[in-house]
Amino acid sequence: MNIESRKKALRHFFAKLVEPMGFKFTPDAELAEFLLEQEVKLEVKHGVPFCPCQPIRRDRSRDMQIVCPCIPFHREHFDAMKRCWCGLFVHRDVTDPDSLPQMSAKEMGIE
Amino acid sequence: MSDNFVQAIKAAEVSPGGMKAVELNGRELVVCNCGGSFHAIDRRCGHMNAPLEMGTLDGSILTCAMHCAQFDVITGEALSGPVPPYLGDETPPPRIGALLKNVGMLMQHIRTEPIATYKAKVESEWVWVAL
Repeated sequence: MNIESRKKALRHFFAKLVEPMGFKFTPDAELAEFLLEQEVKLEVKHGVPFCPCQPIRRDRSRDMQIVCPCIPFHREHFDAMKRCWCGLFVHRDVTDPDSLPQMSAKEMGIE
Repeated sequence: MSDNFVQAIKAAEVSPGGMKAVELNGRELVVCNCGGSFHAIDRRCGHMNAPLEMGTLDGSILTCAMHCAQFDVITGEALSGPVPPYLGDETPPPRIGALLKNVGMLMQHIRTEPIATYKAKVESEWVWVAL
């Protein structure tokens, strides 16, 4: 399987899911390419494209909440950060993704 | 790929996003309508020969109904292999686990191959496929 083709396919499906939620792919193209590549590798290994920046706990109910795009499961947290945890997706209005901090829900006072 | 076009199916019979199986010169094909652009592919999945018209077409990406292997209907490229019923690290229920162990041993050697594609064009309300 060709990693580049799979990345293109993931982009196609992810865009349809995140756009109605008010998110878009990060304008940092290099970061997006890198994260998608990691997801393709995780998909080859596990069968689903897990978030590359969150631990797989071997607990199905928790693991299914980190299958990309995991925005619906962490909506309040990601909306507060204006990005998803790994930064693959940012709010539609974001133009400078580097300015967005990666903070845990606890740090942000959400949990 | 030769340019010997054969009349396949009326274009109106396949809506955008739809697929239909046809048999042309003894060959089983699927005619796909990707938003108005027609493409033809071999009918059988490159993974385990399931009939691909039973799957779903999203843009140019076809997902097989049997194990969710995905293909690009324009290039024929295999975009992903089958989706496993359980995640790699998960422990399935014992009865299913025993079955999956046996099936898994057989299936681990099965590769997902690309599928053949054929030129298609619409002329006089018909889709023509080059065989």
